Amino acid sequence: MSKLGRVVEAVENYNRFVLKEVKRARSEKKFGQQMIDRWNEVKAKTPIGTAPTGLKLPRLALPEIDEAGEITRYLLGEGLPGEFPYTNGAYREMYLEPLREPEVGSFVKAGQNGKNGHRKNRKKAPALEKTKQTEEPTRLFSGFGLAEDTNKRFHYLTGHQRSARLSTAFDGPTLYGIDSDADGVFGKIGEGGLAIDTYEDMVRLYDGFDMGAPDFSASMTISGPAPIIMAMYIAAAKKRFGPKVVPNLRGTIQADIFKEVQAQNETIFPTEASLRFLCDMIEYTTREMPRWYPVSISGYHIGEAGATPVQQAAYTVSNGFAYAEMLAARGIPVDQFAPRLSFFLDCGLDVEYIALARASRRIWAIGMRDVFGAGPKGQMFKLHTQTSGRSLVAAEFKNNLTRTAAELMLAYMNGTNSCHSNSADEPFTTPSEEWIRLAAHGQAILLDESGIFKHTMNMLTGSPGMKAVERAVEAAMLEEFRQIEELGGVLPAIEHRYQRSQIQTAAHRYEEQIYNGTRPIIALNKYNDRKDEMPEVKMVRTPRAKKQLQVDRLAKFKKRNAAKAERALNELTEVVESGKNFFPMLIETVEVCSLGQITGRLQEVVGRFRPMV
Amino acid sequence: MPSPVRILTAVPICDGHDSAINTINLDFIRHGIEVVYLGYHRSVEDIVRTAIQEDVGAVGISSYNGGHVEFFSEVARALRKQGADDIKLFGGGGGTITEADATVMRRNGVDKIFFAGTALTEMADFVRQHYGNTHRRRRKATPDMKLARALTEIEDRYAKNKRAGKPAKKKAKSLGKTRVIGFTGPGGAGKTTLIDELVLRLLRRAPQARIAILSHDPSVVGAGALLGDRATMINSQNDRVFMRSMATRGQAGGLSPATGECLALLARSDFDYVILETVGTGQEAMPFQNELVQKRVLVMNPDYGSRLQLQKIVMLDLADLVVVNKSDQSRARAAVSEIEQRLEQNKREQKLLSTVAKRHRDAGVDQLCDWVMD
Ligand code: B12
Repeated sequence: MSKLGRVVEAVENYNRFVLKEVKRARSEKKFGQQMIDRWNEVKAKTPIGTAPTGLKLPRLALPEIDEAGEITRYLLGEGLPGEFPYTNGAYREMYLEPLREPEVGSFVKAGQNGKNGHRKNRKKAPALEKTKQTEEPTRLFSGFGLAEDTNKRFHYLTGHQRSARLSTAFDGPTLYGIDSDADGVFGKIGEGGLAIDTYEDMVRLYDGFDMGAPDFSASMTISGPAPIIMAMYIAAAKKRFGPKVVPNLRGTIQADIFKEVQAQNETIFPTEASLRFLCDMIEYTTREMPRWYPVSISGYHIGEAGATPVQQAAYTVSNGFAYAEMLAARGIPVDQFAPRLSFFLDCGLDVEYIALARASRRIWAIGMRDVFGAGPKGQMFKLHTQTSGRSLVAAEFKNNLTRTAAELMLAYMNGTNSCHSNSADEPFTTPSEEWIRLAAHGQAILLDESGIFKHTMNMLTGSPGMKAVERAVEAAMLEEFRQIEELGGVLPAIEHRYQRSQIQTAAHRYEEQIYNGTRPIIALNKYNDRKDEMPEVKMVRTPRAKKQLQVDRLAKFKKRNAAKAERALNELTEVVESGKNFFPMLIETVEVCSLGQITGRLQEVVGRFRPMV
Repeated sequence: MPSPVRILTAVPICDGHDSAINTINLDFIRHGIEVVYLGYHRSVEDIVRTAIQEDVGAVGISSYNGGHVEFFSEVARALRKQGADDIKLFGGGGGTITEADATVMRRNGVDKIFFAGTALTEMADFVRQHYGNTHRRRRKATPDMKLARALTEIEDRYAKNKRAGKPAKKKAKSLGKTRVIGFTGPGGAGKTTLIDELVLRLLRRAPQARIAILSHDPSVVGAGALLGDRATMINSQNDRVFMRSMATRGQAGGLSPATGECLALLARSDFDYVILETVGTGQEAMPFQNELVQKRVLVMNPDYGSRLQLQKIVMLDLADLVVVNKSDQSRARAAVSEIEQRLEQNKREQKLLSTVAKRHRDAGVDQLCDWVMD
């Protein structure tokens, strides 16, 4: 049995355990009383806040129950926010406005004084989480043109924020590990993301930002060549701030190979070699850069490729367990790597999204605790969400604002830790300033302007409908796990094309439903009397001269480093062939070699990825 | 019955958005179209070479990562330059392709762009109406073009004869230097990967050699076919390789009614190696009755079940070489010794090899290459 089979058992066991404890709370007086005491204590110690209207509200909303069995079902079955199994949230307080009055004490502290059965899962709120709470969850994905263009956009986006949380999109050649001067790619330079060829581009990209500051974090959406790009990031930071900056670097790199093979199609080395390079990088960053998230286990791309929400969550969470299994097999202690795993899900308009993240968080927590033996930080499913791009359509595209707003609601109801909202011009182009501004404002309206999420945790969780969806989604996810397990686990299932063919079938059904009208899309197949009007949208495209500038810069870099490059590549080859961790060497290699040079050499050594249909 | 409409689809270089094209391929197939699919992240060169070798009626491109005006125009230009502009060019890219872009693209030789919001059936109907009969006589045809067109004519003839119920037959001629090797085996054994790795080695070790590949995929009952081997055969997309994908068009046993004659044509067309690949076959299959096939290879997965199953596999009696691929699997050792014993019963010269085709520079595939070149 792979670990995934054991996760299924663990979740089933846990569900049985909860039921047993509910019964016990009802039949064993002493235990029942303990649970009631804890409940009362949590309620008593919950601080009270005040809305601008003067209304007083508890900072944590709890169901109105007072019977020992139901209290047990709540506390063990879903847990308080920030408590096992984290259904209601990975953290105690998420988007709440900082409290103005001095805090009276918090429910977590209250719980620690209480006497009940699951003390080991509780956590103190350490300094790192404090920063997390005061940072905005808004993180907008952007990238276009050359490094300096994206740099300007970054400054524009974060100008008014307390913290700088950047999210970087790369262009096609970069995503495939190719240089801008490669044959036939000129037209793609700087389109859909920015062009990076060398670590000098990386220096330009984050210019003006203090890369080592505690309120700066960068996210980079790239997987196939992720280790090389990560090395360039480190080299750029070292160049600007000296070697001491390395342990302070904060951010995320996507680096998720499984979902590339399943859905996003940017793998450049054979799967096993890609996984080895990835693990080398994770091993390095978990040791040397403890604030970095070296892999963002992503369902977004699986969902956007057309998977159903359940498929998306099931493949993503099972991919997560597969990484955990690989890293554990390498001998990295679970409490070193597990807290550095993070997740990324899609949020569309299908009903499953009402509880998709909740169900995922719960399964992850149980699996990590009971199968992998992870401590609390490794049990928490830290989640970034992006509203669905595919749900946004060209027909009367301004409706996309409404779609995205509804999706944002769902994402925040699900307690996501950070979120990207798509721009309304999503079907056409990398967003222009006008629409990206509205996308950012959408989040601010929800979180800052409205009172929905800032006064009380659990404001919209736990409705009967949400619970019903949560249970149905959990059961369906476990059923998917069993299928994958039957094929031998995640990697063998990938080799069978299992996930790919499931996703493709679902995608075809989705499109078919649109065009046979069973899936209403407003202004596309319903209320579509203005069908033939093509909207005028400002397209963001990179001018030829810029593309040429990138090619010229690269030529200079290559010329300047010609002699050193060959030597560095040979050294890198040796390390890769020796089987040692290649990442430290890679950080040196990028100082004299371009992305394409390194990819090319590594492909000679380990081979090229063989795509699957 | 006329031949089904045959088209090529692909996604441009540095672009992995394949969800649209996968959906469209599936829909086309259901509408009776045969789709040669080249995959995502594909260069202009690969697309044009494939269009010519497969002699398709049209090329459909799905582009999302920008630069589509340049990319489509380059494909159109390259087809024109080769004298193959009877092959039409069409495609889409959702909202990323604007009306203004499409106007420029049409001027540069693109036949049709489908914008966001077009119904799937509308596209399939368009393809069936417009791309079934595009072939025109070419004034300056290269040998590859002539060969490709001759193969089409053979397939067309069989498609017509099928209705008349009398399969055409033709005698084989002597082969000269050409070696014809047939590969067969159950689905999932990794034939396609193995052949592609073999091709990589042949291209390196015989730097002048030209290779032909005749690869087969099953037709969907009553519908078209997805001919997707090229997407995974990355090393075979090369000017020294002539590859042709065939649909079985209702014939059982792993090959198409027209295979024999197409193979004969390839065998006398000045290639050094001609490789024939069947679809995934069952235990009773014995696809290489054709006397042209000089070396017969059976590719197996260690996962065939019990020893008893081996008795039923007819190709184990007929193969000159049995390859146990995926021999990194735990069951492989046992499989090799069981197959060895099974082959001993036959008391003739049969070779057995273990390979891991997906492994870079696999020594087993090197041995396969030795055997093929020998
Ligand atoms: C799904 C999607 C993804 C998925 C792709 C999954 C997959 N395996 O395909 C994921 C999440 C992985 C993804 C990633 C990226 N994406 Co994307 N993605 C989309 C999205 C949301 C939908 C595209 C889609 O598949 N639609 C479904 C199809 C069926 O419908 P359609 O597009 O309307 O097409 C119709 C017709 O045009 C026609 N058609 C289309 N192709 C063809 C071909 C033929 C032959 C025919 C006959 C017809 C036809 O058929 C459809 C039927 O009506 C679009 C935005 C949007 N809403 O359109 C962005 C979008 C295309 N992506 C974009 C970008 C930038 C990227 C990334 C580069 C981001 C990055 N920097 O990391 C990556 C690159 C991925 C890669 N490997 O190349 C940009 C492109 C911007 C530009 N060109 O300026 C877009 C427009 C989003 C945006 N505004 O930023 N993406």
